[in-house]
Amino acid sequence: MTQVLEGNPQQSKLPLKLIITGGIVFVLFLILPFFLGRFQTALMSKLLLFGVLGISLDLVWGFTGILSFAHGVFFTLGGYAMAYYLKLNLSTDRNTYGVELPDFMVWNGLTELPWFVAPLKSLPIALIAMIVVPSLFAYIIGWFIFRSKVSGVYITIITLAISSALTTFFVSQQAYTGGTNGITDIATLEIFGLELTDINLYIVILCFATAVLIGSYQLTRSNLGLILRSINENEQRISFLGYDVASFKIFIWTLSAAIAGVAGGLFVPLNKFISPVYLAVAFGTQVVIWVAIGGRGTLVGPVVAAILLGQVQNYAERVTQDWQLVVGVLLLVVVLFIPDGLMGLIPKRFSLSSIPKAMATSSSSSGHIQARLLDWLTPSKAWVSRLGNRIGRGKGRDRSR
Amino acid sequence: MLDFSLFQSHLFYLAQEAASDGGSGNFYAALNQLVNGIGIVGILLLTGLGLAITFGVMRIINLAHGEFIMLGAYVTVLMQEAFNLDLVLTIPFAFLGAALIGALTEVTVIRRLYGRPLETLLATWGLSIVIQGIVKILFTAQLKYVRAPSYISGNLTLISSTEGNPAVAISYYRLFIIAIALLLLALTTYLLYKTPLGRQVRAVAQNREMSKCLGVNTSMVDLLTFSYGCGLAGVAGAVLSALKSVSPPMGQDYLVDAWMVVVTGGVDKLVGTLAGAFIIGESNAAIAFFLNDPAARVIVLAAVIVLIRYRPEGLFTVQKRA
Repeated sequence: MTQVLEGNPQQSKLPLKLIITGGIVFVLFLILPFFLGRFQTALMSKLLLFGVLGISLDLVWGFTGILSFAHGVFFTLGGYAMAYYLKLNLSTDRNTYGVELPDFMVWNGLTELPWFVAPLKSLPIALIAMIVVPSLFAYIIGWFIFRSKVSGVYITIITLAISSALTTFFVSQQAYTGGTNGITDIATLEIFGLELTDINLYIVILCFATAVLIGSYQLTRSNLGLILRSINENEQRISFLGYDVASFKIFIWTLSAAIAGVAGGLFVPLNKFISPVYLAVAFGTQVVIWVAIGGRGTLVGPVVAAILLGQVQNYAERVTQDWQLVVGVLLLVVVLFIPDGLMGLIPKRFSLSSIPKAMATSSSSSGHIQARLLDWLTPSKAWVSRLGNRIGRGKGRDRSR
Repeated sequence: MLDFSLFQSHLFYLAQEAASDGGSGNFYAALNQLVNGIGIVGILLLTGLGLAITFGVMRIINLAHGEFIMLGAYVTVLMQEAFNLDLVLTIPFAFLGAALIGALTEVTVIRRLYGRPLETLLATWGLSIVIQGIVKILFTAQLKYVRAPSYISGNLTLISSTEGNPAVAISYYRLFIIAIALLLLALTTYLLYKTPLGRQVRAVAQNREMSKCLGVNTSMVDLLTFSYGCGLAGVAGAVLSALKSVSPPMGQDYLVDAWMVVVTGGVDKLVGTLAGAFIIGESNAAIAFFLNDPAARVIVLAAVIVLIRYRPEGLFTVQKRA
């Protein structure tokens, strides 16, 4: 279908510097839980998963230019698959009613397992469902919206509607989904007789996050990644060159939904419950915020942002109730002044790999921000000096600061 | 007289609704549902109108629209607490308050991001978080209640059943909402199509560069248009504040619905917004009658997604060359 460019200069191996630094960071993260308490280990696991969710959104937004508020939905769909598995494997005596049927189904008057939940009792099927359900859902949506003349902003509005509709749907189907409470009180995940708790789970999640990061990095540096970035830059031109833009979009969209689904699946044994909270628009925008603040098209950025924001939030919430306000201000500042996100602040000479991106246009990042700040002040500068003239003092001198 | 709060009358209204649903025949129940739908149409039109201006005319993806509605509601709360004003009299203040803050955000944020829709979308989302946070600090997260004027409480009985109970009824307050919404629609249409300023606004919407060449002060037009859109949202907030409690996150409830209205109707003509509100409101009510409320919402949202897929420009937009 598509002709792959030959002799692509970017098809180089991983730079040595990157491998060494990455390895050191990985080892640091690996020994981290031995120094942290149980709470911090769980928090870090959670933030790593949120980071992975951020990477999955970065693939479609940062690289391909599709802004989605629905990634929380894919995450939660994977989560529900895992939650059903863990709920069905809860030993009968630990269940509230002492029967095999999950408690929320009992009190909603169901007498037997619905057909679509029953197979999730086995682990392999649950694991497959965790990947297939979100990606199938994403594929259907992608197939539906990308093969049309619908463009950027409208796709974002569609994802808003999807998130809103699915939240309503899951809340209303109380007998099958547990309604607003979601699925709570679940068993511990056990694989090959090994209980996945605390440190075990953390290591599994860390390995998953690393795999996703490396995989996405390789993907974005491959020919496919090049095409995706070109779609972001100039979609029309790429389609004139004979590429089927829609299939590329559908592919990356489905892939990122699958990653999000697995992240959601791993989130459930950690979080001990899943609920429509994670389906709602608010959570979807949280993911968008991580990617925006961390830096679009950087892959590492969303992980850094998720961990940083999560840790700061952890401490800030003990002091203030208005943490969200800080996030909002941060988001505004990033959008207005630092469009490359936090990763864009790292000076180029410290950059480990040169991900070829439009951000290479700004030579020095701090100078760039200064320029933007001045830009932002320019209209008000004129305004202030005019005001100064009118008042008749100062003649507008030194009023720009 | 004034202390008869709408909170009570709303409960009364709900009770009446339940009674009339149970007692009368299926036909009356269906009719009542449709009349209820008209009430929803009023709310949708009111919330969608401001967005029709900011998105339709200026192409700004304003995710902070709900927060301007919330601001309008808080202006009403403030006016009632401070001066014990009648709700109807607080509407102009709500308009001014929301428009002023809208102007402030236009100058500080929106203006910097023209021509970058996705960035605007992000920035307005940040803005909505910030506005919510500030309001929460100023007014606390506590729910506030607004008194509706006593002369628009109670129900208008359209059809009485044989026993003399109201079979099909609509509350006066819903009628009031519809009246305000239609009034604003008419006013906006007048401003856009019959005044020199409106002509400038439409010119800028059609071709910014050309209007600049012809001497239109485009940045002033942008400022005024955005403030007007935010002001309309403020009016919506003031009027809707009496329907439910007023709280910082209240705007979020209206955001998605307002967007659906604007996208369904198309932004080419303001009539599209009316039509969008009508279609969504009534189909919601009709489906809710046969199934239930959540199902209605899911089906309507799915229908809107399908609609965007096939007609992103909305149902009531005349096809033209780009």
